[in-house]
Amino acid sequence: MTEVVAGYDTCPPWAPFFGYLGAASCVILSNWGSAWGTWKAGIGVCNMGVVYPKGIMKNIVPIVMAGVLGIYGLIVAVIIAQNINAPNNDGTTQYSMYNGYAHLAAGLCCGISCLVAGGTIGMIGDVAVRGFGLKSSGGKRAWYTAAEMEGDGTGPTDAMNADGANKLYVGSLIMLIFSEALALYGLIVALILSQHSFKCEADN
Amino acid sequence: MSSSASICSTKYCNAGWSEVLMSMSPYGFANLGIAFGLGLSVVGAAWGIWLTGSSLVGAAVKAPRIRSKNLISVIFCEATAIYGVIMAIILANKVKKPVDLEDIYYLSDDWDFPGFYFSGHGMFSAGLSVGLTNVASGISVGIAGSSCAIADAQDPSLFVKILIVEIFASALGIFGIIVGIIQSNSCNMPISILSEN
Repeated sequence: MTEVVAGYDTCPPWAPFFGYLGAASCVILSNWGSAWGTWKAGIGVCNMGVVYPKGIMKNIVPIVMAGVLGIYGLIVAVIIAQNINAPNNDGTTQYSMYNGYAHLAAGLCCGISCLVAGGTIGMIGDVAVRGFGLKSSGGKRAWYTAAEMEGDGTGPTDAMNADGANKLYVGSLIMLIFSEALALYGLIVALILSQHSFKCEADN
Repeated sequence: MSSSASICSTKYCNAGWSEVLMSMSPYGFANLGIAFGLGLSVVGAAWGIWLTGSSLVGAAVKAPRIRSKNLISVIFCEATAIYGVIMAIILANKVKKPVDLEDIYYLSDDWDFPGFYFSGHGMFSAGLSVGLTNVASGISVGIAGSSCAIADAQDPSLFVKILIVEIFASALGIFGIIVGIIQSNSCNMPISILSEN
């Protein structure tokens, strides 16, 4: 048997460790980001719903955008996991170190991008939704007494409140879209990396 | 047999990834995957339940009508633990002991080592995927459920709308188990020496 120097093997049996770690880190990190965005924005929606229940359905948008990040992670993790080939029946391996490190990088790209994008969507969504509720209800807070809720008739009208709140909503939607784009960058690079493939096929 | 499955060049088998990864038993990796899959899923479920339960009990002091309706948040958290149990049972059925060994103390040279390492690493990764994703899902459902209970106590019409937030949060646990099942699908532990074909 010929002498082989350690580190020169292209398809060692431990190469799938890195591929699997890539798939796992992708789904784990992106779902952490999605969860972060969901709970942060969800608290804001609940806070707003107490003073302005009519705005809840409109303001579910940050939560939907955060949920999409989990789907990005799922897509990339499934693509990576489908590309990890098991060894052949005669003991030769097909999955190379080239594949392993490419898949690890793909998983980390998508995962970390979706993690931070989810955090951003959560923070922006929380504050934007609370601001929307405050503006729509004319500055009404949940702890006001009945007399305070009536107001003195000199403040802005309901129409002006709704108009101002919609302007705020449009601004926050633009911010949320830019945050979602960060996760999309990670997804695109991950998809490019996951196409890198070198298969060790038996030569005969 | 691959050349990297030979004796280590250093005393502690730590001269590079090949020595480190091939010196750790795939049975260890697979069983740690099962342990992390179940244990971390239960951590997520527990975290969610104490988050939502404490708010539910506190808000129910002044508004007792919310008690039964908001138990659904606790059930959503429990579902993440169930995903961990499902994954652990699937993985545990894949861990097989060797059937016919010529020498019972050592695996022979023509053991299916590539398939052995492949399944060990794959099951570890599947368990970790499910476990850590369920921690995120559990915490998210817990915080959403806690806010839902407090909002429901203030105004009953809010409950159904805020339940939508919890449904998004619990979908994350499903993503974790889908990826875990796909990863562990092709992981089969060898039970005897390689067949010649």
